[in-house]
Amino acid sequence: MSERKKLLMRLQATQFAAWELHMFLDTHPCDRTANEMFRKYTDEAKMLKTEFEKKYGPLTVSSSYEASWLNDPWPWEHQGSCD
Amino acid sequence: MFMYEKKLQYPVNIKNPNPKLAQIIITQYGGPDGELGASLRYLSQRFAMPYPELKGLLTDIGTEELGHLEMIGAIVYQLTRNLSLEEIKKSGFDTYFVDHTTGIYPVAASGYPYTAAQFQSKGDVITDLHEDLAAEQKARTTYDNILRLVDDPDVRDPIKFLREREIVHYQRFGEGLRLATDKMDSKNFYAINPAFDCTKPNKRR
Repeated sequence: MSERKKLLMRLQATQFAAWELHMFLDTHPCDRTANEMFRKYTDEAKMLKTEFEKKYGPLTVSSSYEASWLNDPWPWEHQGSCD
Repeated sequence: MFMYEKKLQYPVNIKNPNPKLAQIIITQYGGPDGELGASLRYLSQRFAMPYPELKGLLTDIGTEELGHLEMIGAIVYQLTRNLSLEEIKKSGFDTYFVDHTTGIYPVAASGYPYTAAQFQSKGDVITDLHEDLAAEQKARTTYDNILRLVDDPDVRDPIKFLREREIVHYQRFGEGLRLATDKMDSKNFYAINPAFDCTKPNKRR
């Protein structure tokens, strides 16, 4: 697996954990453990996202237009095991 | 508003194209219990919802469904790469191909195009939440049926992820329904529809 794909998967997993907790907090807004975990995963995801974007270009629309926004692969494109 | 993140919620990497599976799985793109209908249902129901927890929940789940729509599109796209005309004819994909080539279009597996007639936004808290609970189970059954028909582990993996999400969303909607009924008349939930009958903030429970 390529370094890019490995880092992307770590980011996806961390963001997913944060997302799942966010949804849990919608119906349990005062749950302290969930709040702490949400903060932990959100911070971690923020760091991973910064690292990924520095190496491989923007994941979201950024304040200055970066040409690498247009770079392949787009998310739906097949990324073979050698990528 | 919405902003795009240039990544999938969960990875989709399918090595072997299979147009027959594509034609089955596209039902979760534009079929009766698919992700497009799910997303529009929740994002539309939000506007009438009087309770903050439910506004938040419908926003989160409706947004996640858009991510699932993208995943289904990616699965169908990857299953229809580099097809020969022979494969297209043999698999039965020809009936889709003639209208859409290998473009992604929201239809059910039967070929019936996407229609909003398959979901409701009723403007009634209890009714909408029951619709949502049912929707999650209907989608879960569809994913179960897809898993019965698919052997390829590359395809099963993201489908299993999506199936699990239906179960988690069902759980959250169940909690949402309980939160809503807690705020209503415990002797008669139907005494009033809080999405319509008490719109003045000081009358809200």
